[in-house]
Amino acid sequence: MKQLFNYRISICSNYLRLPLIAFLLSMSIQVKAQEKSLVAISHQSGAPAAMKMSELRSVLMGEKQRWKNGSRVIIALMKTSTSIGKTTSERIYDMTGDELNKFWLALVFQGKAQAPNFFNSVTELENFVAQNPGAIGVLNKSANDSDIKDILIDGQKMF
Amino acid sequence: MLINLKTKIWLTICSIVLIFSFFTLLYFPQKQEKLLVDNYNNEVQNLSNTVALGFKIALREQNFEGVQTAIKFVQSDPRFHFVSWLTFDTIWNADKTKFQLQKKVNLTFPEKEHIDTSIITNDSLIVKQSDFVVNNTPGAILLGFNTSKILEEKRKITNASLLVSGLILIIGILIGFLLARNISIPVLALRKAAIKVGEGDLSQKITKFHKDEIGDLSEAFNKMIGDLSKARTELNEKNHTLIDTNQKLNNTLVELKETHAQLIHSEKMASLGELTAGIAHEIQNPLNFVNNFSELNAELIQEMNEEIEKGNMEEVKSIANDVLQNEQKINHHGKRADSIVKGMLQHSRNSTGAKEPTDLNALSDEYLRLAYHGLRAKDKFFNANMKTDFDPAIGKIDVIPQDLGRVILNLITNAFHAVKETTKKGMEGYNPTVTVITKKEGEAVILTVKDNGDGVPQKIIDKIFQPFFTTKPTGQGTGLGLSMSYDIVTKGHGGTINIETKEGEGAAFIVTLPLTK
Repeated sequence: MKQLFNYRISICSNYLRLPLIAFLLSMSIQVKAQEKSLVAISHQSGAPAAMKMSELRSVLMGEKQRWKNGSRVIIALMKTSTSIGKTTSERIYDMTGDELNKFWLALVFQGKAQAPNFFNSVTELENFVAQNPGAIGVLNKSANDSDIKDILIDGQKMF
Repeated sequence: MLINLKTKIWLTICSIVLIFSFFTLLYFPQKQEKLLVDNYNNEVQNLSNTVALGFKIALREQNFEGVQTAIKFVQSDPRFHFVSWLTFDTIWNADKTKFQLQKKVNLTFPEKEHIDTSIITNDSLIVKQSDFVVNNTPGAILLGFNTSKILEEKRKITNASLLVSGLILIIGILIGFLLARNISIPVLALRKAAIKVGEGDLSQKITKFHKDEIGDLSEAFNKMIGDLSKARTELNEKNHTLIDTNQKLNNTLVELKETHAQLIHSEKMASLGELTAGIAHEIQNPLNFVNNFSELNAELIQEMNEEIEKGNMEEVKSIANDVLQNEQKINHHGKRADSIVKGMLQHSRNSTGAKEPTDLNALSDEYLRLAYHGLRAKDKFFNANMKTDFDPAIGKIDVIPQDLGRVILNLITNAFHAVKETTKKGMEGYNPTVTVITKKEGEAVILTVKDNGDGVPQKIIDKIFQPFFTTKPTGQGTGLGLSMSYDIVTKGHGGTINIETKEGEGAAFIVTLPLTK
């Protein structure tokens, strides 16, 4: 009796399995797409409200050291050991975490740029940006802080 | 004085300055430079380590704050020359079984510096390497600092050393001058004053230059001079007193000598007194002969005249021969008396001190008889045996006859007195005897005067030759007899005089005279 019950359950499960898998796959793709999306945030003072992707890259690679209002550019990034950091490294810098480190180390070594500040958590990064005028950071979603604004990249909030 | 005090002071100062200079110019700078270089090496190594640690943290933790600070700190250092980031490439062999790490310069700051991985520390550069490993990937920091700062520091040390040495030299010279002034000058002044004091000038005074040992020495010197001067004055006063005392002593000595001479004369007179009776007795005999034979001759001449008138020439001739014989006897006894008188005169005369050949036996015999008869003349009841034992081998010996005669007379007289005193005791069977013995023994002549009186008590034996010691009642003896005898024998003839005695059995005085040519 028990075996019969198990068998029926098994047949029923086979019929339900495919649509469930399809649903889960779509959800997964959607989540992954959302994880790969990035949002550029900055302190209310310093960074412009919108900029091109190339400009963002230039800023984040230390090529631009001052904002138009004269305040110093302070870069805040998630550590490459985090998924946001890894995405940032890949999408913006087109580098692995190790390569990113060496890139910045080279700039710092030669005194060409101020190294970014890397954080382990989003909250830490948000707090840092909120407290430092001229700070710019990259997250995967908008920050819920009045001192922080989202920067439109190529006219989009998420890129 | 090969090296004077001043030179010694300067030599000491110079030695100290040289030793200090050695330390300040050579030893300390060398030590400081070594310390400086060591510190510099350590500092560069520490900086290199710090940068490497910064790299390690940056690569592992993505925290660039430390490396940024370290790099800025290093680059801002004026001694900074370069900093290189070395990476290691893994080079596999063809089979990919073995690999080796190849070091290469990844980045260098400043970029214009082209640093080779084989660069090492040299005179102008200190290079330090710090290795690190992150995620199994090795790396290294090569830090180069120039040594210009060290050279500059060395120059400063050298300059400071020279300055210190110069200061030491100046201080040394000043100390030398001060010491020379404080020690040498007062000491030289002391020496000069001491020389003058030695020459007798006690008016020297040393000025006290300083309140130190030299000053104390000057003070002590002045005190010494004062004491010396005072002592000299006292000495002079005492010297004057001593001269006066000496003068008095001389006067006393003269008086003593005069008294001594008088005493000796008294002793001689006393002994002469002892002799007088004996001499009188001795002269009496020849005088009796002279008188008797003169009377006999007078009778014979009367008888001869009668025979001449008778014409009996034969009888006349016979009587004339008898007269002649009597005359010869008168002459003989006259000469004998003359001899006695001459002897007495000789005894009373002062000694000439000249030795002359003398018949000791005859001298002894003569004085024995004179002494005996002298005592007999004073005391008719006195009687004693006289024994002589003269050694004829003695012959004539060189002595001072007057002096030695006094000795013999003194000893014999004492012997007769001794037996006389014993006789007075009335001992039955006692036979007073005085014996005079002479004997030649080798190179000496021994004269012994022996008696069988009471002997000399042991307690006074040591005193009998002392001047003025006498056992006779006061006024009867001078106490100089044996003392003079002792002096005559020992000092005048180089001989000895000893006594052998036994209480109750008698005494023997033994005179030993060396035979001299």
